[in-house]
Amino acid sequence: MSTQSIPPSTRAVRAIEQASIAPAPSPLKVVLRVASTVWSNGKARIGIIILGLFILIAVFAPLIAPYGARQNGFDRSADASAAHWLGTTAAGEDVLSQLIWGSQISIFVGLVAGLLSTVIAVLVGLSWGYVRGFGADVINFIVNLFLVIPGLPLMIVIAAYLSGGGIGMIIVVVVITGWAWGARVLRSQTQSLRSRDFVTAAVFSGERPFRIVFREILPNMTSLIVGNFFGAATAAILAEAGLEYLGLGDTTVVSWGTMLFWAQNSNALLTGQWALLFAPGLCIALLATSLTLINFGVDGISNPRLREGKQR
Amino acid sequence: MTALLEITDLSVDYGEGTGSTHAVNHVSFTLEHGEFVGLVGESGSGKSTFGFAVTGLSKPPARIAGGSILLDGVDIASLSTGELREQRHGGVAMVLQSGMNALNPVRSIRNHFVDIFRAHGHVERGDWGSRAAELVGKVELPASVLDRYPGELSGGMRQRVSIALALSLEPKLMVFDEPTTALDVLVQHAVMDTIIELQKKENFTALLISHDLGIVLESAQRVLVMHEGEIVEDAPSRQILERPGDDYTKMLLSHYADPRAEVVELPGFEGRHRAPADAHPPTVSSRTRRKDQKAIVVDHVSKVYPAPRRGESQVTAVDDVSFTLEPGQSLALVGASGSGKSTLAKLITAVEKPSSGSVRFGDLDVGSLRRGQFRRLHRDVQMVFQDPYAALNPLHTVEYTLTRPVVNFTGLKGLDARRRVLELLDTVGLSPVEEFAAKLPHQLSGGQRQRVVIARALASDPQVIIADEPVSMLDVSLRAGVLALLEDLREQWGVSLLYITHDLLSARVVTDNIMVLNGGRVVERGNTAEVLRNPTDEYTIRLLDAIPNPGRQDVA
Repeated sequence: MSTQSIPPSTRAVRAIEQASIAPAPSPLKVVLRVASTVWSNGKARIGIIILGLFILIAVFAPLIAPYGARQNGFDRSADASAAHWLGTTAAGEDVLSQLIWGSQISIFVGLVAGLLSTVIAVLVGLSWGYVRGFGADVINFIVNLFLVIPGLPLMIVIAAYLSGGGIGMIIVVVVITGWAWGARVLRSQTQSLRSRDFVTAAVFSGERPFRIVFREILPNMTSLIVGNFFGAATAAILAEAGLEYLGLGDTTVVSWGTMLFWAQNSNALLTGQWALLFAPGLCIALLATSLTLINFGVDGISNPRLREGKQR
Repeated sequence: MTALLEITDLSVDYGEGTGSTHAVNHVSFTLEHGEFVGLVGESGSGKSTFGFAVTGLSKPPARIAGGSILLDGVDIASLSTGELREQRHGGVAMVLQSGMNALNPVRSIRNHFVDIFRAHGHVERGDWGSRAAELVGKVELPASVLDRYPGELSGGMRQRVSIALALSLEPKLMVFDEPTTALDVLVQHAVMDTIIELQKKENFTALLISHDLGIVLESAQRVLVMHEGEIVEDAPSRQILERPGDDYTKMLLSHYADPRAEVVELPGFEGRHRAPADAHPPTVSSRTRRKDQKAIVVDHVSKVYPAPRRGESQVTAVDDVSFTLEPGQSLALVGASGSGKSTLAKLITAVEKPSSGSVRFGDLDVGSLRRGQFRRLHRDVQMVFQDPYAALNPLHTVEYTLTRPVVNFTGLKGLDARRRVLELLDTVGLSPVEEFAAKLPHQLSGGQRQRVVIARALASDPQVIIADEPVSMLDVSLRAGVLALLEDLREQWGVSLLYITHDLLSARVVTDNIMVLNGGRVVERGNTAEVLRNPTDEYTIRLLDAIPNPGRQDVA
């Protein structure tokens, strides 16, 4: 613990005046320490760099992309050239520009769908882990239902049912099929935490169940939730690409998934335009991999034994 | 004859560079062949770090920073992992505190032995069965345990198995790291006896690491006292007992006494006489509801749990127990683990419901309370938990932890609530109060944490405090302080105290009356001093005998 003084928040200053002891770490410091833990993991560092690059590309797409996403009128199915680094599509659009614009959709869907399914998983998992009796059985039944139904067919059915909804529909489908696994993981952790003394002590302090779950138990599983978020986001990115590849999304939107869909439609591989299939596929794989790599570092937050470079 | 183990100037650090901690600091000593040596120290003294270093099991961030460990002339610290594994046969073996949990739950005990035989090849394949049976025989277990799985054995049996496993490599040196600490008092005694006898029969050299000076003095010929990473005293047991040289050793010794003695004095309790509760009227102004004092009445209560597995009989945890805890009284509930004392605490705090009989607090029927009504009970009946390390949420400051019950039970808000929190901290002796309020649990010592737990229990201004082994997880030197605090609270605040423990000495110091539980039944009850001085039930006598007491019997 360093002896450096903490930022002058009013309460802390009063308390620490006569202190020779280590001050309580400020929230900012905690965040920094967590970030450095994740960063210290080699795999996570690579993941963060890749994810950072993709986010930069997505944010600055209007500046980076040489042409518009739907701007056509170039030579159709052209090979790579100085004007079109990755060639053009069968509809005469620039592949590199589509790739750059498409990153926005993938990252947006990944983060939003990952976040939503994590929120649902937290709400369901924690209350399920804390309640006992009939209520828990009901939730158990519902969650099991979502777990046993194979994901992809369910997605296709729901997507076909909600057809024409665009990105919003894709997010809904991914969230519906993606929350159950996280809920079960969080539920088992909640069950193990609820038998801890400090939870019993909170009952003795007169706390209501809602507060016990979300103020006592929840903060103790932050790393699990963060890990769950990255896992869910990975799954969401893959599911989004999969659905769009099957033509179940809005095929007029430019995303990596629809690029694959159109490439397949125009038999890109037969015409020798490997970049059309390969580039978006590689981007999807890289983005998913980066999130998974970050998760290696997140594991190290709660379990110091998994931190790298410290074994002998 | 040369020494078996020669340790010169050994230092072990945690971490590197300026932020490192010196856990073991320039320690030197030698062990002769066949010696039984005890290493005593409180938590954080570096004794376990030292034990791991000796066995070559130091793991990063622990790091041997200097010195040498010579076992039969070979430096253990310089061995590679492979050489170290070779050396395990006929070298150093270790029995851990959690050794009972070190067994693989899905493999039978026989498999554990076979693993070792196969890895070292020192036993002929045909002799595996007989050798394993011989080894478990040495730790006084029947050969039939070999076909059992760890889950089917009790904690004591599992610890015996792990001792037998350590023996299977015919080690010259056995390091026992708190081998009995996690076990029940009565079992503890039996396992220690086995270890002492084994050492005499097998003639290995033993290093017993323990926080309990009593156990060490009873078993070891020579005792090393460790304090803050340094060995402060190295002398034969008898000399330690009769003429301790170091102040730290003297302090440790002062915390042992015989609960059967006529007058029991512990540091912090000198010259204190147990007065009847009503002789000390409450003196704290904040107590306003003094008049409607209520008693806890436990009336013919039984608690029966359903059979754990099909075909087994149901478990009667509490069997027809009746007692009344009058306001201001202190009552000890003692017994070995499994005697039902913790179940009784759960029944009184409405965590469990009685199978028959009733628990009443004033006109409140505790047994029929539902979850939503718990506040009515917990306003007046509070609990102090056994493990101060588990009872505080690691992410909340002391202030938050204490503010919650204040807000929930007293209705105070904002500054008033804060004033009350600081008052509570002052009551439990944590000052400067502002400083402690801002701390997180990991910045506090075990004793300070337990004081926070007690402060939380006091927040609602309760009439009854149930303390479930409140000092069993604390170092000896901290115990007296916490016990004295509980005693003060009872005298000054008129709080009645139900003190649950297996430690008869502390029961003697803080309680007026005692109930001894065995198998869910009350086997003996009465005035604490009288019961402990003249125990009539055989179980009480066994409990008393199991207390390690350096002064009582012949030291080896």
